[in-house]
Amino acid sequence: MTLPSATLLAQSALSGLFVGALYGLIGLGLGLSWGLLRTINLAHFAFTFAAAYLCYQLVASTGIDPLLTLLAIAPLFFALGVGLHWLVQRFDVSPLNSLLLTFGVTAIIEAAIQAIWSADFRRLESHYAQAKFKLGALFVPVPELITLVVALTLSFGLWALLKHTDLGKALRAAAQDAPIAAAFGVDQRALSLLLAGTCAALAAVAGVCLSLSFTLAPSQIYAWVGVVFAAVMMGGLGSALGPLAAGIVIGVSEALTMAVTAPSWAPIVSFTLLIALLLLRPVRT
Amino acid sequence: MRPLLAWRRRALLAALLSLCAVPVPAQQNPVRIGSTLALTGPLSATAQIHKLVGEIYVEQLNKRGGLLGRPVEWIVKDDQSKPDVARTLYEQLITADKVDLLMGPYATGAILSAMGVAQRYDKLLIHHTFGIPSLAKYDKQFPAWSLGPDPGSTVPNTVFSALAAVGKTPKTIAVVTSKFPSLHFISLGAREVAKKRGIDEVLFLEWEFGNRDFGPIAARIKDAQPDFVWVGAIGLDGNLLIDAMKKLDYTPPLHFYVYPAPGPMVQSADANGALSVSIFEDHPPLNTPPVAAEFTKTFRERAAKANLPETSVEVQAAASFTAWQMLEAAVNGTKSLDDKALAAWLKSNKVDTIQGKLRFDGPNNYGDDLMRVKQVQNGRWLIVYPPEVAAPGAKLVVK
Amino acid sequence: MKRSVIVALLAGFALLAGVPWLRLPAFYESILYLVLHWVLLATSWNILSGYSGYFSFGHGAFFGAGIYTTAVLAGKFDWPFLATLPVSAAVATALGVALGAVVFRARSVRGELFALLTLAVTFVLATIVLNTPIDGGPGIYLSAVPVPHLAPTQPGTFYLLALVGATGALLIAYVVQQSRLGVGLFAIHDDEDAAEVMGVPTFRYKLAALAISCALAGLAGGVHALFISYVTTGEVFSINVPLTVILMSVLGGTRHWAGPAVGATVITALLYAFTKGDLALAGKATTGAVLIASILFMPQGILPRLLSRRPALAPGTAPAVVPSADAAAPSPASPSPTAAHGTTLLRASAVGKSFFGVQALAGVDIEIRRGEILGLIGPNGSGKSTFINVVSGHFPATTGQIQFEGREIARLAAHRIAHAGIARTYQIPRPFAHLSVRDNVAAAAMFGGAALSSPKARQEADHWLAFAGLADKADALPVALNLHQRKFLELARALASRPRLVLLDEVLCGLNPSEIDDAVALIRRIRDAGTTVVFVEHVMRAVMALSDRLVVLNHGQLLAVGPAADVMQRPDVVAAYLGTAHAAEGH
Repeated sequence: MTLPSATLLAQSALSGLFVGALYGLIGLGLGLSWGLLRTINLAHFAFTFAAAYLCYQLVASTGIDPLLTLLAIAPLFFALGVGLHWLVQRFDVSPLNSLLLTFGVTAIIEAAIQAIWSADFRRLESHYAQAKFKLGALFVPVPELITLVVALTLSFGLWALLKHTDLGKALRAAAQDAPIAAAFGVDQRALSLLLAGTCAALAAVAGVCLSLSFTLAPSQIYAWVGVVFAAVMMGGLGSALGPLAAGIVIGVSEALTMAVTAPSWAPIVSFTLLIALLLLRPVRT
Repeated sequence: MRPLLAWRRRALLAALLSLCAVPVPAQQNPVRIGSTLALTGPLSATAQIHKLVGEIYVEQLNKRGGLLGRPVEWIVKDDQSKPDVARTLYEQLITADKVDLLMGPYATGAILSAMGVAQRYDKLLIHHTFGIPSLAKYDKQFPAWSLGPDPGSTVPNTVFSALAAVGKTPKTIAVVTSKFPSLHFISLGAREVAKKRGIDEVLFLEWEFGNRDFGPIAARIKDAQPDFVWVGAIGLDGNLLIDAMKKLDYTPPLHFYVYPAPGPMVQSADANGALSVSIFEDHPPLNTPPVAAEFTKTFRERAAKANLPETSVEVQAAASFTAWQMLEAAVNGTKSLDDKALAAWLKSNKVDTIQGKLRFDGPNNYGDDLMRVKQVQNGRWLIVYPPEVAAPGAKLVVK
Repeated sequence: MKRSVIVALLAGFALLAGVPWLRLPAFYESILYLVLHWVLLATSWNILSGYSGYFSFGHGAFFGAGIYTTAVLAGKFDWPFLATLPVSAAVATALGVALGAVVFRARSVRGELFALLTLAVTFVLATIVLNTPIDGGPGIYLSAVPVPHLAPTQPGTFYLLALVGATGALLIAYVVQQSRLGVGLFAIHDDEDAAEVMGVPTFRYKLAALAISCALAGLAGGVHALFISYVTTGEVFSINVPLTVILMSVLGGTRHWAGPAVGATVITALLYAFTKGDLALAGKATTGAVLIASILFMPQGILPRLLSRRPALAPGTAPAVVPSADAAAPSPASPSPTAAHGTTLLRASAVGKSFFGVQALAGVDIEIRRGEILGLIGPNGSGKSTFINVVSGHFPATTGQIQFEGREIARLAAHRIAHAGIARTYQIPRPFAHLSVRDNVAAAAMFGGAALSSPKARQEADHWLAFAGLADKADALPVALNLHQRKFLELARALASRPRLVLLDEVLCGLNPSEIDDAVALIRRIRDAGTTVVFVEHVMRAVMALSDRLVVLNHGQLLAVGPAADVMQRPDVVAAYLGTAHAAEGH
């Protein structure tokens, strides 16, 4: 293999950074839901794609800026998230059972998407698609940059919220020990619904960002499950920054591998790295 | 009873009957043709085209009087894009539903499963888009997709001949391909053919099917500065790569894609000039003969009604239609539904199809290679080589 | 173990084995093959993940290893198909054991991290297979491989193979659940650390469950390779298999050996109910709705819900995990009177324990004498619980030696320390939440120093529950007990293993005065029965009433040791507890 130029490496790393940011953005709501709500929400992916399709449709029908569609889409999905979690609370669904429940929801949403938009590929056409600028020798495409900025903002914002605000502390307390938190006046049920709605809204944001850069198909829902779950589990459940960091590690390590050697080896590098990091984690003993 | 109520009653009855999955008894004994298609799952984007074509064909066939004077009923089941489901459903069609004839599923994996079942029961299997001729070892299977017995060398040769015809044989080539089974071997064949023609290979990359990040691959292609990029892409890979290259402000002077999803590619502004291969496109001279003309028109209307983003007939739809044409021709030729007789007939006769006259007496029942080179020009796929079937006035355009 | 279940399974096998000779249409044989194939896969997943709670997201890796082993051997090296099956099982097992040997030792890898690891292994394996001559890209074509003629038809042969596999899996799952391995796995599921300290050899058991799980998955893969006859990495290593086995097991019920089989049958049936072309999308949505409804209304799974319709189980109770005896077993003997009272039972020399720079124990020398009640006291944070944790093996000591009855036990695996005859209670009770009160105690009798067989263990459990006053709660789940009862459950559990040394960690904390008196009397009876007691306590009157000797720790170091009255007079001890001012006042 020829030695790649610094520009090639940097451009590849940038590309990996962007796709990793998307993994992190999709995983953000999933991880919070799993860690703080004890719900393994497979339907998170279905929400993401449903939002992406809705964004596509709104843009195709009305021609408005894709990012503006969030004004309508985010509240809609917030409500859906609240509804789903209300169901989980009402039936006291355990984490493993929630996987089954949300799988059922995913199947329904996937069928609905295919019924409405057919199984064919849909691509959002917007002025964003062409926009890019140069940073030195590197090309920075705007849709991907938007995704990165959104991912960073939301991740850090949520981290700050969880760590420093009373609301965040209440959420974390309720997640750790609901009865005791209740004794301190924390309304776990209401907070959980709020958080679940927020996670679904995060999925919607991820979906809109996804639609800016990727072509949509109903079966694509499952294409992201493996790598996003990996990013979430690696980053830590309930962590706001973890999925983003892990997603970026996965994205960049794969991209650099692709820049340097046969791209088909890429997953080995990222996942072996993951395995090694897991095994070498320092532990309290 | 008032007409409205009568209508409702009939509708309700029909709904109940269909729920019971009891076939509504036909006036006459219908010829039952069974197949599966990937109506759900990752392959459904393309399979829905085959469903539409099948419906159109069977409708028109029944208007013409059906087969052997009997109406035709097409039983299609959903194999969910899973080959093991496809296998089991074909066994159901043959042994439980006891259909008269089979039609193939989509795609290569499912067709192989169906082939195995057909072989065990000695049934004729006509299939539409099977990608690996060397694996089609059953003697009663017949391909509707004329890519010839050795696409690994014929497809690249056709492409390079097309380039040579406009005096644009490249000096350097980059071969980048996914490892998807149906096209990996064709890309490897392209490397061989390029070497034989004295073209210098400056880059060879393989990625796993399902790769999401094409940035580094695009960067490496741009760095290598090839005259010609051969992309072993299927489905969306091609578009993802074009997008990634565009983000680097790079368009290769010449680029070729093996099996791209036709709709997204033709709709993308950056794909202008992209080359691919096809057996049929919806423009003269291929769409002029009456059968083709009627089919392409009907397909366009029905596809639009079904909300499919891409409404013109190309490889998948054409191969699908061809498959039905072959079946009808064989049945009419032998005046029977006997699989053995049908297979023998196909082996020794030529069938007139929208692709042209097809024969099936080559290795593994493959005949002529009818793959033509097409190019995206101004938002349309136009065949540019060979000149006999090229769109009127269309030539291979090089930037 | 109920022989009737095994007989029923074998009888069922014999009956179903005749199906291919009924000459049904091949379709039915293939459908039944698929059902049995999924029964085999889901049951194999459940043996590790359902029983022990080590939720694996990578069953596809082991299944895939089996598929590719058969594909390569039969497709590329022309091995006869049946000969490849044991190799496929072996390869998958080797992969699993290699993974487990590394991963199960790492304490950090629990819960979702284990799931991530197994998922990552799948991706790594898929990439290796795709990029090496094992597959390399084109897939492996097996249509030329002859299918053995075990049944009149080809699908019938697959059906028979899957029937053997599924029956074997169910038998194994039943036997495991009824055996020590099963009880240990269920204990690991609820609280692995407590299980290990109680005497369950957790590493060995997890590895055994993983090995069994992988072997069955590999076998399933080997058979399936020929069924699908064209093997590609994209199909084999997709997320479909790992996700589906989880769904099937959870739907059917993960704590029951036949749960996954029920789930597999239901989900496969749903899959085929909707294959008619026009129903495809509606069918998908309906399947989703059915799954949702099932899990909302049957949260334990379908099978437990069906079984609970039978009488016998009161609400809030659990089915027995530790099997009962068929015949009456002799009553348990009390622990044999020990050797000379007063000799050294345990000697801790220069024991130190640090956690990332926090020195919890430093240079502690403690001698515990046979037959005594030793009180271990000190202000909060002085290292008392840490000492207990180190002696019982919950944490390894960083420095120093600990000799128990002449054997060196520092840094030994906790379950070995338990077998040597040491037991402990936890300050905050850690019962096994899904096991009944009796099973909690019986498990300790099975795995602790006593190492009883399961029928005897149940008897022993009843004895100690009576001793602790919990006999009427024997069938209840720990969640139904109040704090006092849970503390006594801890005690009963510790005693059931017939330890020679029992370490009690703040057993009296949270009890009211009359309960404390009961406990004090109980502890005396324990010592009188022949067990040496070390107890950590803050309730001074109990300490003074019970202790023969006292050990005082402060800031992780030994401050004082000696007869209770003397030690409590010492000014440095008073200073440590109450502050220097009080010491000066000469209390």
